[in-house]
Amino acid sequence: MIGSIFQDALKNLTANLLRSSLTMLGVIIGVASVITMIAIVEGGQLWLVNSIERLGTNLLFVWKKRLTVEERRIFAGRNTQLRYEDALAIRERFPELDVAPVLEIDQKIKAGDRDYSGRVTATSPEFSTIRNFHPASGRFLTSTDLHDWHRTIVLGQTVAQALFGSSPALGEEVKIRDHRFTVVGVMEPKGEIYGQDYDEMMFIPITTGMRFFTGTNKIRFLILHVPQRERMPEITEELHQFLVQRHDGVDDIFIRNQGEFLGAVEQTIWTFRIVLSGIALVALLVGGIGIMNIMLVTVTERTREIGLRKAIGAKRRDILLQFLIESTTISIVGGTVGIVVGIVAAYGFGNMVAQAMPGGGDWGAVIQPSAIAIAFLFAIAVGVTFGLFPAIKASKLDPAEALRYQ
Amino acid sequence: MLIDLRAVTKTYQAGHVAVPALKGIDLRIHHGEFVAIIGQSGSGKTTLLDILGCLSHPTSGEYWLDGENTNVISESRLTTIRNQKIGFVFQTFHLLPRKTALDNVQLPLMYAGVPRVSQHRRAQELLTMVGLQDRLLHYSNQLSGGQQQRVAIARALANHPALLLADEPTGNLDTQSGKDILDMFETLHRDGQTIVMITHDPSIAQRANRRITLSDGQVVADETSDLSASARPISSEQT
Ligand SMILES: Nc1ncnc2c1ncn2[C@@H]1O[C@H](COP(=O)(O)OP(=O)(O)OP(=O)(O)O)[C@@H](O)[C@H]1O
Ligand SMILES: [Mg+2]
Repeated sequence: MIGSIFQDALKNLTANLLRSSLTMLGVIIGVASVITMIAIVEGGQLWLVNSIERLGTNLLFVWKKRLTVEERRIFAGRNTQLRYEDALAIRERFPELDVAPVLEIDQKIKAGDRDYSGRVTATSPEFSTIRNFHPASGRFLTSTDLHDWHRTIVLGQTVAQALFGSSPALGEEVKIRDHRFTVVGVMEPKGEIYGQDYDEMMFIPITTGMRFFTGTNKIRFLILHVPQRERMPEITEELHQFLVQRHDGVDDIFIRNQGEFLGAVEQTIWTFRIVLSGIALVALLVGGIGIMNIMLVTVTERTREIGLRKAIGAKRRDILLQFLIESTTISIVGGTVGIVVGIVAAYGFGNMVAQAMPGGGDWGAVIQPSAIAIAFLFAIAVGVTFGLFPAIKASKLDPAEALRYQ
Repeated sequence: MLIDLRAVTKTYQAGHVAVPALKGIDLRIHHGEFVAIIGQSGSGKTTLLDILGCLSHPTSGEYWLDGENTNVISESRLTTIRNQKIGFVFQTFHLLPRKTALDNVQLPLMYAGVPRVSQHRRAQELLTMVGLQDRLLHYSNQLSGGQQQRVAIARALANHPALLLADEPTGNLDTQSGKDILDMFETLHRDGQTIVMITHDPSIAQRANRRITLSDGQVVADETSDLSASARPISSEQT
């Protein structure tokens, strides 16, 4: 009997095609927005997590705090800078950490008649492993480079391209100010992460940088890699104390934990999720109200039919089932169309973001089967919930009165 | 005895006004009778038919159908009684639109829980009986009024009802179609079918073997035709 009721439901819906389609539109929009929003949030999260992982994981950043005029007066004469020696001391005190001191030098790099204005990163060999950024050809900086103040340079893809075009850069010479540097490596392409285009970077030994360009042992910041994530808070604390002690008791540094950053990102994503699901649910709710509305109209229109069915032997539950199946059919058909629309919209939107967002090239919507299942179940639930009241109303009609309804 | 009404009244509530439609009806109808109920508009004919068909309960009094007191049974049981023991034929046919003649006749069989194959066979048989064997797959709106009413009769007979109730079955038909329907009723009656038919047309009422006249909610006349004029197998039970 269910089978024939279902057939009847489809027949009734196709008999009023325009009306049914308009009603379904509500469900379609609701389900499509659920699918699209989940796909976008999931895609965004995947992208963020990926890009954070590409930056390297379990990182601590040590920066120098900017002191006020007052503080500078009070602490005059004390050792209040972040220096190369701090990096060496940390290595000795915390042998389990990878430490990369960083100095940035803005310079014009020349090769023959071509030049390139950019930022030279003076650092140590650890930088490559910490940031998970490796040479495609040649090598990265070595400890010998640092020890002997070698004038070696490793170029990012874009820089190599700009200076040497398609001919190999390895072994060539470039000039920074009046100093000749030998190209010992070219980095792999990595693209842009958080506004930093890795392909525009170039690296020289930090010792060379200090000796030839800044003339001091001050550095800009330190990156540290902690082997175990769970030890990060503890190490942060110890590191802080250690550096304050080295700086004659002046607390002039701050340490940023990449984990905190990840946590903040995750929290933002959760907020997004909640807000977007709210919107999607409201859309589904509106779709449900549309179903209820149209089912109430249908019940009124078909009062005589209901009376007749009851007269010839339809029980209450037969009538209830009939109208419930009809409202659920609307939501199932609408839900199916909505899923297709949602998937198309999600991928379309994903592509749009990938093209519009700098560094978003690998951004994409993520559609999980569970999201489709959830949306579909929601659609059915909406059909049943909002069809229930009209169906109960129909099932309770008095047959004698219903038959004479005009 | 198939029908036994004892002091049945029905009062409608129209807002705050009580409208007495039936004012104490005592009536007995035996198996195999062909009864016409006549009376002026508003006299309570349809109200009486609703009660006979278990579509509504009397306000007071008792209605015994086939030995069962309908006042004291559940709504679900009443539905089963309508499905199994009563067949309805209405003035306005009440066929379902967007359904074929066959589907319409199968409906009471479906609600009775008859298997699909048997539904189909029985419906085909009934439509052949009413002369519509070549209209099985026509939709209701593709049939003439007379044909629609014949489909309705086939539907009413689907579950071998003890009682066939008809409210002005010829009211919406031309003379010839109306005559065909009445001929069909007569044939059914001859085969032992109990029929109660409402009409306000005295000439149609003449086709029945018993005429009950209602006026203002009361039975004012109850006359039976000469027994020799029509077969009235009182003792024959319905299948
Ligand atoms: N649902 C109702 N509410 C209130 N009064 C009603 C209702 N149904 C019928 N009545 C009243 O009950 C009385 C009997 O009505 P009924 O329909 O039984 O008459 P009838 O004999 O079938 O008339 P007709 O020949 O016009 O069909 C009428 O006075 C009518 O107005
Ligand atoms: Mg009437």
